[in-house]
Amino acid sequence: MNWIGIIENTIKALIGINAVYFALAAIGLNVQFGYAGLLNFGQAAFMACGAYGLGMTAHYFQINMWWGVLIGLGFSLVLALLLGVPTLRLRADYLAIVTIAAAEIVRLVVRSVQFNEYFNGSDGINNFGGPFQRLGSVDWRIFDQVQLFKLNPQQRDYGPSLTIPGVDWTIDVEFTGRQLWALIVGWGLVLILGSFVYMLMRSPWGRVLKGIREDETAVASLGKNVFGYKMSALIIGGLIGTFAGFMLALDRGSVQPDNYSRDVTFYILTALVLGGLATVTGSIVGPMIFWAVFQFADVFLREAVGREGITLFNLRILDTTQVGPTNQILIGMLLILLMVYRPQGLFGNRKEMAIDAR
Amino acid sequence: MRRAAQVVAMALLALIALAAVMSPPRTAHAQEDDERTINVRVQNRLEGENTPVPGVTITVSAGGEEVASAETNENGLAELVVQGRRDYEITVDRDTLPDDVDIPEERASLVITSGQFTSSRIARTFNTGEAASTTEPFVDKLAQRLVDGTRFGLLIAISSVGLSLVFGTTRLTNFAHAEMVTFGGVVAFLFNVTGISFLGFMPFVDDRGRMHLILAAVITTIIGGLFGLFLNGTLFGVLRRRGYSLITLMVISVGLSIALKNVFLHRFRSRRRPYNDYASQSAWEIGPVSITPRDLIVAVISLVVLITVALTLQRTRLGKATRAVSDNLALASATGINSERIIRVVWFSGGALAALGGIFNGLDEQVSFEMGAQLLFVMFAGITLGGLGSAFGALLGGFIVGLFVELATFVVPSELKNAPALIVLILVLLVRPQGILGRAERVG
Repeated sequence: MNWIGIIENTIKALIGINAVYFALAAIGLNVQFGYAGLLNFGQAAFMACGAYGLGMTAHYFQINMWWGVLIGLGFSLVLALLLGVPTLRLRADYLAIVTIAAAEIVRLVVRSVQFNEYFNGSDGINNFGGPFQRLGSVDWRIFDQVQLFKLNPQQRDYGPSLTIPGVDWTIDVEFTGRQLWALIVGWGLVLILGSFVYMLMRSPWGRVLKGIREDETAVASLGKNVFGYKMSALIIGGLIGTFAGFMLALDRGSVQPDNYSRDVTFYILTALVLGGLATVTGSIVGPMIFWAVFQFADVFLREAVGREGITLFNLRILDTTQVGPTNQILIGMLLILLMVYRPQGLFGNRKEMAIDAR
Repeated sequence: MRRAAQVVAMALLALIALAAVMSPPRTAHAQEDDERTINVRVQNRLEGENTPVPGVTITVSAGGEEVASAETNENGLAELVVQGRRDYEITVDRDTLPDDVDIPEERASLVITSGQFTSSRIARTFNTGEAASTTEPFVDKLAQRLVDGTRFGLLIAISSVGLSLVFGTTRLTNFAHAEMVTFGGVVAFLFNVTGISFLGFMPFVDDRGRMHLILAAVITTIIGGLFGLFLNGTLFGVLRRRGYSLITLMVISVGLSIALKNVFLHRFRSRRRPYNDYASQSAWEIGPVSITPRDLIVAVISLVVLITVALTLQRTRLGKATRAVSDNLALASATGINSERIIRVVWFSGGALAALGGIFNGLDEQVSFEMGAQLLFVMFAGITLGGLGSAFGALLGGFIVGLFVELATFVVPSELKNAPALIVLILVLLVRPQGILGRAERVG
């Protein structure tokens, strides 16, 4: 078994682009679910808004890519209003039902032949990341003096190379210039938006929001506009989720409708619960650990299964095409076990985890 | 805590056992080292219904050179074996299509790139349409859609009764309900097509352990009910009594949904497959409407089942107790109703009906690992329209939404067929959130 390869893959997953976009989506979902108690099962749709906002600049609008940021945020705003207005005055489960349905419809619409003109159907929109990637190879300096970095997009071996003494292993964590540029921007965004949410939740606004999660009626009786607070939380969380879509699209320079399926929202939810609801640290570290574990299990199982597959009592237990589903079964079980035994996740506070809002 | 631990461990073990029992279907022949199989389906999507198109010649070419060709069988399937991962172009020979069926030139061929071969098999579907010359008058089309809509509505109503009753009695929105529907379809497939070899000694079972679909359906419906009981007994019921909040339970049902769906994918793989019986039938033409005997019988059975459910709820002691618990659990318990028993009954009957719905859906659109998931929000729209938790509401709402979705295909393209359900959902929540039969209550 190639342990070095497995370790390299795991470390890359820990800080890779998947962890970035999951973290961004989880920070947004955390505002909604963790702090406000709003069960948004359609975060993937907000990500799709961002990704398609960028993609459509190349495919439909034929304008500079950076307008896509505004377009994507605009889409998300409209979506949040559309989902929030009918449901936020009702019990919590209505929002869950409507968001899960809306996210599926958004995916079906963008991949449909009918709306090819706007979204290019199931092929998605490709090769529009040029302006973003060109920025990466600019000479970045502080006051024209200190050079920060200047990346060569083609170069493949950015990243540390660690030699473990004794066993004589060399672990190379390598990214291409293009990937590294996306990671720098992505983790930058995670830091900015994470700090924003951290400060927001310590403001009077955030305290009211947490109060709504704990007891809506009590907050309403103090004269606060509960609906307004919930609506803003849904919008802010959705807009942050939009950035996850931006990063996923910018990294690949393409957008594919099937990257925004219902399951993606559920995995983000799992990663968030793993880290700890209602904590900013949890919403960032959770996705990192989630992807490291997921990648480890994936590579490990693939290596273990080999070409022949594993057979037990004449029954094919596992072959290479079954590794994916096996991992996802484990994710589902992880979510169940976390909610039963450790609902506060790794960093959360059990007392604050009274997600009992109805 | 310890009891909960045992219970969850048991549930997980059972899930694994479930995965082990569902043995994967046998592949037709041994795979050569670099042999790739392309499964092509040609189907005619008409009136929201897929009918296989047999006798169509399919050719595969690589680099402009023809490498394989085959003709579709009576199920509209053709299997093409090619050597190696390359870019292949698959073409439908339009001249071999039946007269009343056509496919536009630009959709008559498609390309599989080498990167798309993630396994030794790859499946592609060609959807043909009506030939331009045979256009029916609007009234005829409307009649056909009404019939199809009735069938779909009955299917949704059957599948979603359990979802609504469970909500009514325990306030749990069970996102894994979709998987209970798939469970029915897949387990019936196991009995009917895959076979369980050690059952071979039993009557009505052939030596590979397969049985006729009717027998398989009866057994599967019962197993579906037991599955519902099992979920309540090991997971939801226990956690509810331990005082876990509803939102926690809802997230747990999401986890369960992910796990179960992938158990199905793991054992059943991602292809759609038909049952051995009643797979292809020629339709009866009744006036302007065509319906296969299978669909007619399924619709009749569904109707009978729904009327039985409604009468049970209306007339029997058990039904009245169920409605009482749905209405107000504390009050019902105080009057001496054993509410835990009622909840078990609800999980059993809900699971059984969901499984039956899954079998019917499998007959209609073949069996796949995500057949239930695709219906989930149509079911949600139905029970919301009817009134969340109201037993009759699920029947009525499911039926109306199913009918509406089918009728909406006049204006909505078939790939967005389920989208109107969302519009229904949002409109209901804006105008009358308690649904048609629900009682208004202040919720925030």
